[in-house]
Amino acid sequence: MKLIKWTLCAALAAATGVWSDAAAADTIKVGVIATFSGPNAIWGKQFREAIDVYLAEHGDEIAGHKVEFIYKDVGGPNADASKAAAQELLVRDGVKYLAGFDFTPNTIAVAPLIKQAKVPAVIFNAGTSSINKQSDYFLRTSFTLWQISQPAGEWAAKNGAKKVVTAVSDYNPGIDAETAFSKAFEKNGGAIVEHIRMPLQTTDFAPFMQRIKNSGADAVFTFLPAGPATFAFTKAYNENGLKDAGIAFYGTGETDETTIDALGDQAIGLVTSYHYSDAHDSPLNQSFVAKLNELHPGSRANMASVGAYDGVHLIYKMIEAAGSDGAKALEAAKGLAWESPRGPVKIDPVSRHVVQNVYIRRVERGVDGHLVNREFATIPNVPDLGYEQ
Amino acid sequence: MSELATRPSVRTAALSLGSIWPVAVVALGAGAAFFLFPYDLAFLTRIVIMMVFVLSFDLILGYAGIATLGHAAMYGCGAYAAGLVALHISPDPLLGLVFGALGGALIAWLSGLVLMRAHGMTLLMISIAVTMVLQEAASKARWLTGGADGLPGVSVSPIFGWFEFDFVGQVAFIYSVCVLVAVLVFCQLVVGSPFGLALKGIKGSPSRMRAIGTPVYRRKVTIYVLAGAIAGIAGALAAQVTGLVGIEVFNFSLSADVMVMLILGGAGRLYGAIIGTLIFMVVHHVAAAIDPFNWLFVIGAMLLVVVFALPQGLISLPDRLIRTFRRT
Repeated sequence: MKLIKWTLCAALAAATGVWSDAAAADTIKVGVIATFSGPNAIWGKQFREAIDVYLAEHGDEIAGHKVEFIYKDVGGPNADASKAAAQELLVRDGVKYLAGFDFTPNTIAVAPLIKQAKVPAVIFNAGTSSINKQSDYFLRTSFTLWQISQPAGEWAAKNGAKKVVTAVSDYNPGIDAETAFSKAFEKNGGAIVEHIRMPLQTTDFAPFMQRIKNSGADAVFTFLPAGPATFAFTKAYNENGLKDAGIAFYGTGETDETTIDALGDQAIGLVTSYHYSDAHDSPLNQSFVAKLNELHPGSRANMASVGAYDGVHLIYKMIEAAGSDGAKALEAAKGLAWESPRGPVKIDPVSRHVVQNVYIRRVERGVDGHLVNREFATIPNVPDLGYEQ
Repeated sequence: MSELATRPSVRTAALSLGSIWPVAVVALGAGAAFFLFPYDLAFLTRIVIMMVFVLSFDLILGYAGIATLGHAAMYGCGAYAAGLVALHISPDPLLGLVFGALGGALIAWLSGLVLMRAHGMTLLMISIAVTMVLQEAASKARWLTGGADGLPGVSVSPIFGWFEFDFVGQVAFIYSVCVLVAVLVFCQLVVGSPFGLALKGIKGSPSRMRAIGTPVYRRKVTIYVLAGAIAGIAGALAAQVTGLVGIEVFNFSLSADVMVMLILGGAGRLYGAIIGTLIFMVVHHVAAAIDPFNWLFVIGAMLLVVVFALPQGLISLPDRLIRTFRRT
């Protein structure tokens, strides 16, 4: 019976954080929940490599605290695993910050936990606007589809597009992109001639290309998940003569750095609206990319890398300001501004989402032979436009 | 003949004895785990829920010999049913379980009417198709399910109005173990009943069973619906514990994992399902904690060893060892 009481006490103490504080001395642990295995393992890989770069540049100590990262694999979109991982990190490992989060359901599942434990969670990717409404302890250093699609719509309308057809994958991010783009485009005097929603699993886009052609539009705005779908879509775009017919291509993350070289020459000339390109012209970005290449030869920085890099920076700043006090750390993070490899960024105090420049880019062949997204227009300081929708 | 004559008395005795000790072992094991690993309750709860799910699959694959790759269909429907009930009707967890079971049973009945007429490869393919159709439907019905973002905010009231789900996960764990024990007892009753014997017969030879007058198709649909209801309960538990239902509940990998766990432990025995789930999940967890990047190798190697060395599953290991010792 004594043993039982003792174990219960220990569990309770750990839950309230008393016990782990004493045991952990001055090491502050950060739990990184992401996908490190299976078909979506690229997220975890990019996160980890960017964290490595940050650690190599800034060391693992800040304001007298040692920072330790604990990685937890959830194997893809899996809310059950994500919540259990967060619970384990909070209860057993006594982490004071959570980070990572590639998929929306994985992120929303931890909302009640971080609220109760008062632990800030920094989202490196999951880009659904409504996530940050689920808990005040969510902070995000990636992007939302509203944030990049609405500027794309405005820019397209002001730069010659009159009639646009939207073609998006039929799932939540696709619908967000479609709505944001259409609203902005129509507001600025353009006309959307047709909304096409394509099945998520398909890789045969020829029939959709015909519909795009028949719609009489002079441009197509698209959103597809990175991977085989994007590859097949751009291929179909070229092969079905849309490019030759003068129908411009506007996208968002389709030309991601990790998959762009696989697209080959057919990608050259594609125009996308996004918040990060590894060809961004700034000394900070150059040193970031160089360090990444030094630590992990062959890796390319993409939006996940910069999300993680800035996320770790945010965590360091919070630790510097508040140590392991979650509530105080959260206040310190609000309004924080810094120079990121993607350009100037700031945490919006209300939405707790990153305010950043959105760039219009065109795919070109870079000096080293790789395909790159060359930025040629900037829409400065865009907040999360989807937060109030 | 003599075997048949002594059957009833032997069976009642075996049933009463046989139904007490595995349940006791599970309850004791769960109790020990509760005190030995107070920080891992969230993970232990996931194991228990998965045990319920694998048990339901054992009923159809292990006992009736129906091999499908779409068992996630019932799990997912149960999860969505429980989630929607909690959000829109009543947050009572037990009511959620009832609706989860109904959801799983309903989809099992609807799909089972077609599925149970198919065999082998056709059955595998159609069962995968059913799950994919459901996933696509859940993804499209955004107004109802939240689509790919998941159905958030599923919160349940305290169990019996007393036991509130706590942060460490103690209540969730005990609750799941109680459900597991109830399901285990129910499965034992089913397996030990004449209906269960008919299922074993169908697994052995459907044509002979038909010849002695067993309505094979109807028996198969019945067990499919029963297993569907239990799978639905597992889904409902997961929804209540996690507080969110994503379209991933219909993932093909979930159906495949269940089959792997069952074969690992040993199909056709109820403990096989429990041991297989325990070993698979623990090895997965430990390997993933040690090396979050390459742990899949460990799982793969373990499966290969078991399939080649112990085709009957890990449950046959003691028998095998005893036989080897006796020979030497």
